[in-house]
Amino acid sequence: MFKAIVSASTLRDALDSVSVLVEECKIRLNEDDLSIRAVDPANVGMVDLTLDAASFESYEADGGVIGVNLSKLEDFVGMANADQLVELELDEETRKLNIRIDGLSSTLALIDPDSIRQEPDIPDLDLPAEIVLEGAQLDRGIKAADMVSDHVRLRVDDAEEAFHIQAQGDTDDVDFQLDAEDLIDLTSGTADSLFSLDYLKDMNKAIPKDAEVTVELGEEFPVKLHYRIAEGQGNVTYMLAPRIQSD
Amino acid sequence: MGNADLRTLAALSDVSFDDVAGSVVAVDAHNWLYRYLTTTVKFTNSDVYTTSEGDEVANLVGIVQGLPKFFEHDLVPVFVFDGGVTELKDAEVSERRAQREKAEELKQAAEERGDDLAASRLEARTQRLTDVIHETSRGLLERLDVPVVEAPAEGEAQASHIAKRGDADYVGSEDYDTLLFGAPYTLRQLTSKGDPELMDLEATLADLDVTQEQLVDIAILCGTDFNEGISGVGPKTALKEVKEHGDLWAVLEARDAYIENADRVRELFFDPPVTDDYEFDTDISPDIEAARAYVTDEWEVPEAKVERAFDRIEESLVQTGLDQWT
Repeated sequence: MFKAIVSASTLRDALDSVSVLVEECKIRLNEDDLSIRAVDPANVGMVDLTLDAASFESYEADGGVIGVNLSKLEDFVGMANADQLVELELDEETRKLNIRIDGLSSTLALIDPDSIRQEPDIPDLDLPAEIVLEGAQLDRGIKAADMVSDHVRLRVDDAEEAFHIQAQGDTDDVDFQLDAEDLIDLTSGTADSLFSLDYLKDMNKAIPKDAEVTVELGEEFPVKLHYRIAEGQGNVTYMLAPRIQSD
Repeated sequence: MGNADLRTLAALSDVSFDDVAGSVVAVDAHNWLYRYLTTTVKFTNSDVYTTSEGDEVANLVGIVQGLPKFFEHDLVPVFVFDGGVTELKDAEVSERRAQREKAEELKQAAEERGDDLAASRLEARTQRLTDVIHETSRGLLERLDVPVVEAPAEGEAQASHIAKRGDADYVGSEDYDTLLFGAPYTLRQLTSKGDPELMDLEATLADLDVTQEQLVDIAILCGTDFNEGISGVGPKTALKEVKEHGDLWAVLEARDAYIENADRVRELFFDPPVTDDYEFDTDISPDIEAARAYVTDEWEVPEAKVERAFDRIEESLVQTGLDQWT
């Protein structure tokens, strides 16, 4: 059983965060929240999303799992204006999801959850540095890095207490330095890792510019990015595996 | 080569690279190399892969172009090279040699006619694995830290053995003989575009309702790399008769037919010369620069020809996967 009403913008923020990594996913319709965990086919980027029941106008579920094609679902939800409400209801018999937006009703055929890639185990990471910044700041650093290279170095300078978003191209370099006072918060520690911009750009696309993003970083370790959606009632965590630093 | 009749009997299914990501594939090296060698030769001007000393190293171009397919899909290849030629295969080898000589003659005729297209197509058919190709293939794989296993005899038998022992998840081969050698799972079409094809031994036996021994008997009746089959007997007839009579000997008796060396061919599939004495490290850390230098400086392949492929190899290997931390 699943029946819920949610604002189109909340649902879109949630779905966008997953669709940048995968085409299809399983959605867990838990009693107290809706959750999605997915990893891209190359096992490089992972997303772990939870939307608490409180982020819905109304929410009833009893622990089922459905499989969806995200671009189709996003197309349907895209028919709503940001402030409109989307009504979702699972038809257990036909295994279809009924979506109603104002007078518009549509039916989405679901995918057999067993045919979707297994949900990944969450890596157990103990990362020494934590940086809290605005989505807009992260966006600026990533855009700058993208001008010169296809990968980016995220680094915390423990001595000067600063976070650097750096990129080195064949001929050109960029370095976006954020000191402790520029950041919302900084827990300094030795941290320096290299990441593919292909992935980070996609994740960045889904992160609202006004979101408070927590970056957990280590030395040649995956990075964790989390931020809240749905006015704090939803949580998105990305994990991205590093590239090997050659020099 | 191989036994295409087996295709009609084998349980085959398409799989996606996602499904097999993260696995180890024991590749029948000669089978794999041969495909890339002929393609390279067919579509490349021979100056590109001929050194100033006159050595032809099209294999180096083929290897760097073929490897990204594994790495980009998070597969670790283990290349299993043939050891000595199995005595029984002599007939096949000399037949291949005869075909090569024939192609060589035709190629010369085409060159004399000035038909370049026909000549380059025929050139592809004259390829064989020379000593230089053997040496340089291993030299390049070693620099790329790609595991290599030397088989005592047939590479596909050894690859199947490695998979049977659980040291590889799949055998990689375009041939169907890996079924006869008892490889639990074989990935085909690793050298072509698109998704691979999975050949499943257990499902094959279940579908046909025969034992592994009976499957080998069926293949022998149709003809294998090691023996001529019985004329007029295809996979369907062979399957029917083996099921009816029980085994090869009973079928031969009922038909009053004879297959030369049949007992030895059977023995070769049931108990091929293979070794447990191999080891390999599936954690690949290649020296890309050394590999580039080996191909372009030492063996004089123009950089432009292999640059993109090396970039792809580099790119696919420097990205780690999250599964390393779970």
